[in-house]
Amino acid sequence: MGISKDRIKFNVGGRLFETTATTLANAGRDSFFGALFDDEWNLSPPSEDSIHFIDRNSDCFSVLLDLLRTGDLNVPANITERLLHREASFYGLLDHVRAAKWGPFDGNRLRLSDSVKGSAPGDGTAIRAGPDGGCCVAHGSVVHVYDWMLEEHSPINLDYQRVNDVGWIDSDNIVLSACERLGRGEGGMGLFSSSSGDLRYKFQVCHENQVKSYTAGALSFSPDYKIFSSCKGRSNEYGIGVWDQITGKQTDFFYESPGWSLGDADKLQWLNGKNCLLVATLFPRKDNCYISLLDFRDKNMVWSWSDIGSPMAIDEKRVRDAIAMEDSNSICVVNEFEDLGFIDLRMYGGSVRWSSRSKLMKSKMPDEPCYPKLALHEGQLFSSMNDSISVFCGPDWVLTSRLRRSYGGSICDFSIGGDRLFALHCEENVFDVWETPPPPII
Amino acid sequence: MSNQKKRNFQIEPFKQRVIVDPKYSDKTWKILEHAIHEIYNHNASGLSFEELYRNAYNMVLHKFGQKLYNGLVLSMTFHLKEICKSIEVSQGGSFLEQLNRNWNDHNKALEMIRDMLMYMDRTYVSSTNNTPVHELGLNLWRDIVVHSSKIQSRLLNTLLDLVHKERTGEVIDRLLMRNVIKMFMDLGEIVYQEDFEKPFLEASAEFYKVESQEFIECCDCGDYLKKAEKPLIEEVERVAHYLDVKSEEKITSVVEREVIANHMQRLVHMENSGLVNMLLNDKYEDMGRMYSLFRRVTNGLVIVRDVMTLHLREMGKQLVTDPEKSKDPVEFVQRLLDERDKYDKIIVTAFNNDKTFQNALNSSFEYFLNLNTRSPEFISLFVDDKLRRGLKGVRDDDVDLILDKVMMLFRYLQEKDVFEKYYKQHLAKRLLSGKTVSDEAERNLIVKLKTECGYQFTSKLEGMFTDMKTSHDTLLGFYNSHPELSEGPTLVVQVLTTGSWPTQPTVPCNLPAEVSVLCEKFRSYYLGTHTGRRLSWQTNMGTADIKAVFGKNQKHELNVSTFQMCVLMLFNNSDRLSYKEIEQATEIPASDLKRCLQSMACVKGKNVLRKEPMSKDIAEEDSFVVNERFTSKFYKVKIGTVAAQKETEPEKQETRQRVEEDRKPQIEAAIVRIMKSRRVLDHNNIITEVTKQLQSRFLANPTEIKKRIESLIERDFLERDSTDRKLYRYLA
Repeated sequence: MGISKDRIKFNVGGRLFETTATTLANAGRDSFFGALFDDEWNLSPPSEDSIHFIDRNSDCFSVLLDLLRTGDLNVPANITERLLHREASFYGLLDHVRAAKWGPFDGNRLRLSDSVKGSAPGDGTAIRAGPDGGCCVAHGSVVHVYDWMLEEHSPINLDYQRVNDVGWIDSDNIVLSACERLGRGEGGMGLFSSSSGDLRYKFQVCHENQVKSYTAGALSFSPDYKIFSSCKGRSNEYGIGVWDQITGKQTDFFYESPGWSLGDADKLQWLNGKNCLLVATLFPRKDNCYISLLDFRDKNMVWSWSDIGSPMAIDEKRVRDAIAMEDSNSICVVNEFEDLGFIDLRMYGGSVRWSSRSKLMKSKMPDEPCYPKLALHEGQLFSSMNDSISVFCGPDWVLTSRLRRSYGGSICDFSIGGDRLFALHCEENVFDVWETPPPPII
Repeated sequence: MSNQKKRNFQIEPFKQRVIVDPKYSDKTWKILEHAIHEIYNHNASGLSFEELYRNAYNMVLHKFGQKLYNGLVLSMTFHLKEICKSIEVSQGGSFLEQLNRNWNDHNKALEMIRDMLMYMDRTYVSSTNNTPVHELGLNLWRDIVVHSSKIQSRLLNTLLDLVHKERTGEVIDRLLMRNVIKMFMDLGEIVYQEDFEKPFLEASAEFYKVESQEFIECCDCGDYLKKAEKPLIEEVERVAHYLDVKSEEKITSVVEREVIANHMQRLVHMENSGLVNMLLNDKYEDMGRMYSLFRRVTNGLVIVRDVMTLHLREMGKQLVTDPEKSKDPVEFVQRLLDERDKYDKIIVTAFNNDKTFQNALNSSFEYFLNLNTRSPEFISLFVDDKLRRGLKGVRDDDVDLILDKVMMLFRYLQEKDVFEKYYKQHLAKRLLSGKTVSDEAERNLIVKLKTECGYQFTSKLEGMFTDMKTSHDTLLGFYNSHPELSEGPTLVVQVLTTGSWPTQPTVPCNLPAEVSVLCEKFRSYYLGTHTGRRLSWQTNMGTADIKAVFGKNQKHELNVSTFQMCVLMLFNNSDRLSYKEIEQATEIPASDLKRCLQSMACVKGKNVLRKEPMSKDIAEEDSFVVNERFTSKFYKVKIGTVAAQKETEPEKQETRQRVEEDRKPQIEAAIVRIMKSRRVLDHNNIITEVTKQLQSRFLANPTEIKKRIESLIERDFLERDSTDRKLYRYLA
């Protein structure tokens, strides 16, 4: 076996290419090349100058061959994304293209890669990043689903029930929580296929062994395959429901205690280290803000905080979003002026320590502000305000980057996942896709 | 199709929908179907992968995915039915081989078909929720071939038959077995379980049921256990050779149930070879085997343990209640120690040093050791014996070992305070008579007792050692301050603290003048150095060495008791003395005097006195003279006092009574301690608490506790609750 044995010649759409089996092996067995050179299909050993003919676009082949050689994707201007994706799909190399397109997520190196305009203007509810770079946008009673190539799939249509929250189980399954419609026992939570938009499963809630209709609010998922949702039942059965992702059965229900709010929660967050669920009901959904940590093992509210009774002099500082940061044992909150505040989780009944940083912002408030939102990703804290997203790093949460694009109005929601950040604007129903560029060559 | 975009001007009428050749899909499918056919016929060398892949791609692209998928199902079904037929007709031994060959072919073909239709798998199948090609191929194989009416039962029977053959010693083609069973596993866990594992386990259970029944009819317990080990090893091997790893646990549990669990009772109780027999004959190997086999089964070890416990208790009961065997305390304890060693060894070597077995051993010993109320005394006597002489010439390590073993027995005792009483007596005797062999061993044991029962238990014993030491120092001081005493009789005094030592009634006697002068000197010296003390002489416990000259100038040194010395000294002044005269002169109590005269006049070889008339017992009318004809080979002659080493019946009663008396304040103290912290408590709870608190010393008798409570009520420590008479209140 000489070295020349390794050489392989292709004639792609009339153009000759020469490469090595080693390069093609990078494509993996589950690809066109993997099968083509499998022993089963190659009973007679190829002679020195046998040329494999492939009836495909030669320009794209050269890009993809280069991708296999270097792991780097360089698309000339004359090749459209769609063309490249179609060819990659033919060879079974779509995953390779996706992996080469953007680098590992870093909040301080993000570049705007695309903006996608929705079909209907305004009133986006939520945007959620999928695990493989896709996303979905909840919009009234419709959820639009985009794959990582930002191609839109069949939308999920809920027949005029308003969608409250969306979440990805995996790249093929989406959970929707929706309002109950008066007079019709529908609403609640359903599992949908992300590729076809079909309803696959409906999650039910039982109270005293009776199935009841309910309105599902915020969603959260835990790594041990549980789904949490805030629930409001018809006969004051408010609280947090728990379902098993595998069986789809309801496994638990944490009832709201009098004088406290759980069923109206805006935000749920599963804390893996503490084995607790953060539940936050925030102004102005209720007159006051309630933040609690629930331990479902012994049905115990292990920590809680509320601004009931705090002096109204700091009325303007109402908490609008909250996120738990397990590493620093604190909860980060934000008010409508994008002031960050911190509450210590180790103390019961502690107060908010505001870091007043951005009073300057106050002067140029837009007419229709959106409430700020918070997100945490690998030690970086993200906060949206008006038309920009701020990135904070380090133990003291110093502002290190700001993402802004001057089009589409305020950001009403954003989400990080699949190494991408999606930001949804409220005016034009446009969403931006931010990616980290592939790492530098040297 | 989208190249219209580039045109700047549009002339629409020419725009025609590009119509795909209506027969296009059929033609393309024909090509692909032909390829599938060729693949199944091992004729794939002429096929072009690129062309086939492109055709499949085009079909999916032009929305013929459903047609392609349906065609694949039909075509594969057709080929599998053909295969099925060829397997069905194969004869006898070639059946499995044929099946295996076809299965391999199908797998290969499936692989190639999947490659060919890769694009369909990735796009069409995943978006329509159809079964992927590979899984589809396996499902079809399962439904068409494996579940075919003519194959399913034949396949199963062939496999089970082969397993049976191997169990009965034949050699089978394990590789083929492995391949066929691997097929079941590849088809999915459920297929493996339903189509093979379940019937396999049933057949195995049946097989071992019959086999174990045969064995047990003709083997004794040991042999059966040996045979029972074999199938367990064999089945594990079988799993390793050609079954799924997950089956190991299941088949093992089947064998365990059939071979062990179902025969456990019978095996353990087997006459002449069961567990009791093994225990008696120290069959470590068999017992070890029994342990390792039975522990696989639930309750297996419980049975073994129960039988051992029962046997131990029975044996122990006999040992401690047999009056013959309890005659000699040393032997009695030695026997117990031997039994313990024996069972300890059995548990260590055969029963894997199992904690639960050790507990059973301990509880059994505790049970029967306390059946005999004299056990505490015997254990103390045993220690006494060992420390007096038994340990001479034994190395320190071994001494420690023996003491440790004794401590083990001690731990089983419920009446530890009784032991303490006896031990104190025996220790006092040892110390005073200087009989103890090793001071270190003595102290060692006390340290052990201390760790076992606490400081309180041994404080008095330690006090005894301290007394010995200070006495020695005091004596040195005495002689230093009285240098004139270096001539004349030497006095050795041991000053004992009252309370630390077992109390003995002080028996006064008239000491000879020479001695009493010395005693007085010592008394004044002692009281001079220690104020506020009182000395009284325990003459009944002393000894004396006196020099005597007999008839033909025979010189001897006599080692005698103080009483005997008093008597003998009288003969310095007169040749003949009557009993009455001796009694008057010495004032020794009659019983002691008689004993001491008896030991000097009636024991052969030690008869320094001659009694008239000659008889065994001492009468009040007897008279005594010095035996001038006394001879002995030794210069030093020890004249013992006639005394029983073991306690006499009244003495025993007395000790018992003293123990009971000592317990009273302890029980009362415990009651007060408990009530002080609880304030109010009902009767039953007091009893349990008190019993628990005193457990380390003795087992308190409930009626005694009740009496103590009554007494405390009388003395206004407690009162009964006015409404509930069962409740007691603490009165501060």
